[in-house]
Amino acid sequence: MVEDKKFIKALSKKFTEDPKSRTMTKVGLGIDQSARKREFKEWGEKIAKERGISGYDPMVHLGGIPLGQRVLMPYKISTTDAYCEGDDLHFVNNAAMQQFWDEIRRTIIVGLDTAHNVLEKRLGKEVTPETINEYLHILNHAMPGAAVVQEHMVETHPGLVDDCYVKVFTGDDKIADEIEDQYLVDINKLFPEDQAKQLKEAIGKSLWQAVHIPTTVVRTCDGGTTKRWSAMQISMAMIDAYRLCAGEAAVGDFAFAAKHAAAFDLASILPARRARGPNEPGGLQFGIMGDIVQANRLYPDDPARASLEVVAAGTMLYDQIWLGSYMSGGVGFTQYATAAYTDDILDDFTYHGVDYINKKYGGIGKAPATMDTVLDIGTEVTLYALEQYEEFPTLLEDHFGGSQRAAVGAAATGISCSLATGHAQAGLSGWYYHMLLHKEKHGRLGFYGYDLQDQCGSTNTFSIRGDEGAPLELRGPNYPNYAMNVGHQGEYAGISAAAHYAVKDAYVLSPIVKVTFADPSLKFDFARVREEFAKGALREFYPAGERSLIIPAR
Amino acid sequence: MAEYKKQYYPGASIVSKNRQKQMDPAQNLEKLREVSDEDVVLIMGHRAPGEAYKSVHPPLEEMGEPDCPIRELVEPTEGTKAGDRIRYSQFTDSMYFAPSTPYVRAWMMHYKYRGIDVGTLSGRWIVEARERDIEKVTKDLLETEVYEPALCSMRGATVHGHSLRLLENGMMFDMLRRTELGKDGNVYYVKNQIGEPLDKRVSVGKPLSDDERMKRTTIYRKDGMEKESIDKEVLEFIKRIHKSRSMAGFQLKV
Repeated sequence: MVEDKKFIKALSKKFTEDPKSRTMTKVGLGIDQSARKREFKEWGEKIAKERGISGYDPMVHLGGIPLGQRVLMPYKISTTDAYCEGDDLHFVNNAAMQQFWDEIRRTIIVGLDTAHNVLEKRLGKEVTPETINEYLHILNHAMPGAAVVQEHMVETHPGLVDDCYVKVFTGDDKIADEIEDQYLVDINKLFPEDQAKQLKEAIGKSLWQAVHIPTTVVRTCDGGTTKRWSAMQISMAMIDAYRLCAGEAAVGDFAFAAKHAAAFDLASILPARRARGPNEPGGLQFGIMGDIVQANRLYPDDPARASLEVVAAGTMLYDQIWLGSYMSGGVGFTQYATAAYTDDILDDFTYHGVDYINKKYGGIGKAPATMDTVLDIGTEVTLYALEQYEEFPTLLEDHFGGSQRAAVGAAATGISCSLATGHAQAGLSGWYYHMLLHKEKHGRLGFYGYDLQDQCGSTNTFSIRGDEGAPLELRGPNYPNYAMNVGHQGEYAGISAAAHYAVKDAYVLSPIVKVTFADPSLKFDFARVREEFAKGALREFYPAGERSLIIPAR
Repeated sequence: MAEYKKQYYPGASIVSKNRQKQMDPAQNLEKLREVSDEDVVLIMGHRAPGEAYKSVHPPLEEMGEPDCPIRELVEPTEGTKAGDRIRYSQFTDSMYFAPSTPYVRAWMMHYKYRGIDVGTLSGRWIVEARERDIEKVTKDLLETEVYEPALCSMRGATVHGHSLRLLENGMMFDMLRRTELGKDGNVYYVKNQIGEPLDKRVSVGKPLSDDERMKRTTIYRKDGMEKESIDKEVLEFIKRIHKSRSMAGFQLKV
């Protein structure tokens, strides 16, 4: 039934023509059909006049043939009612996308247990809930860049760093009860009961600090700055809170704990040829992405929905920001990534898989994790997805690049296999099976990158020794075969998360990451990734990193 | 033991047989139209008709190459012997039943031609070779059944069209409008493959009927002649490949 297809609404609006017609009638309209392109043109002219150097000029495109020789499609952000232009989904034009990444890059998770041991056992200080609250009071003054202990010291303007703060969390309800509400990430309030129980058991009595340094700092420096900035201010706050000697060697233990022993980077450093420090996107494992995104907290009974939010987050970060700008540059990567979170297409394919799983296997997470399951569900979802492109020419035109179709079809297949089995490796196997079948059916797949990893992916799916592969949750953007190919990494994150969401795991890899990003005080709501991206596209999102306090008014 | 007979591609469906035909060097591609040598050169746009071939090294026989068993085994192509530079031809094939697809083209080239290098993407397919060789290859690719004037086109850049809806006159969309449908029903190149205007219109003949397209296509589509999403034997073959590769990687010592 056409009416049942989730993507019909978007297609009808995008093309304003019969979505099943094979004929295009709107040709040669140029950029005037797009409000955003007209805006760009006006700004291009304005800027050229003001600075005396030419800039944006759509008429230099292909020697005078501007964009828009066919319909310049708007995009519907999947599951929302928001429509925007493609340009609004480039991260440069979308403040929510920028903040999504800023939030991750400026975050470090630091254990307090080591520091408390030093205080009690070596320095003979008493650590009580009162002292912890006082320490957090001091730390929330110091972390944005304010002085404690020192005399005659420069400080940062609080209005420029209002996004910076530190909270704590623990798996011990008694300790949590003693922490002031303003400083606590409250697991019991933020998570469904079952998830809260799992998280508290995993975290135990440990006390962790979720540190978010100023957005402005990581934008000026980099992700590697985060733990250095954090460790310096933590050490100073300890000195102040517990009246310590500033030069005593024991103080070095606080710095060591905050920088190394008790510090959890969200992303690891990369080798020289892709050299980046910690907390940069290339080192962020797929499983961690599944923990940063919080949709499974919001939709515990709809693991497909939760997984698709991870895909949206992952494609934006890995494709648009990491591969698209850190590693390459330009604008093309956005076109790949948006296919996975616009127009409800991936949603339609995935929920088709969910329906099939429910009917055939009696529910999510109940199918055996076997090759037969992968081949069965993989065939069903792959052929369904490809047949939709055949039946709806506007759908094919929407995903006009084979890489878009391959990524979306394989994501739906992989997520479905994960959801059915609760096993990420089964999901990954589904991804690669899709790629082989897709290539043979349509005689085409994606760009050259799909010839690299997707033609040999079946072979390394179940190779999990260190030098040969890894469980999907532990793979990341720097996994050898994945390191240069757009249209894959965000989807892999979704596939790995789906396996855990399917069996109601509270977290994918790390309970402390899951709790850290549940914090409602963050500027970006990680439970509603696509909604937030939509707000950014509609220019309704308020980011951090304000500079208007220190620049002239326009 | 029965003599092994190469099958080239699984399946007995129309699409499978078409793939087998395009790939099997023993089966000649059917010639459907005439495009003169001069017109091929014009569409390619690398040199003017009649202009001498540019070379990147002296003829091989003048180079005094060292003894080498590989050199004795492999007969150089004419372009290689002459020292021609390497040039390209690039094609876009519509998904609405164009006769070939990027992968089928790639496989076909490797079976049927020598001295070529192909690149296979979703929306375009490129082949490179020494200049006089690529001109011969391109002539074949334009004149035979692997080309359909409305649904295929040579596009060096700005290739989009393979997945887009067709224009009202049945032609594949081309932002640069390199080809046009003439009043006489023939399709004409008015620009070369990179989009530079030609001094004369070059005909590549009339589009095929829908029925003829369906008979010749190499894309498995559910709305194809056999109304089958994919050939069943092909499907089983893909499952076997996926399973075998997975097991091999799992280190079963097989």
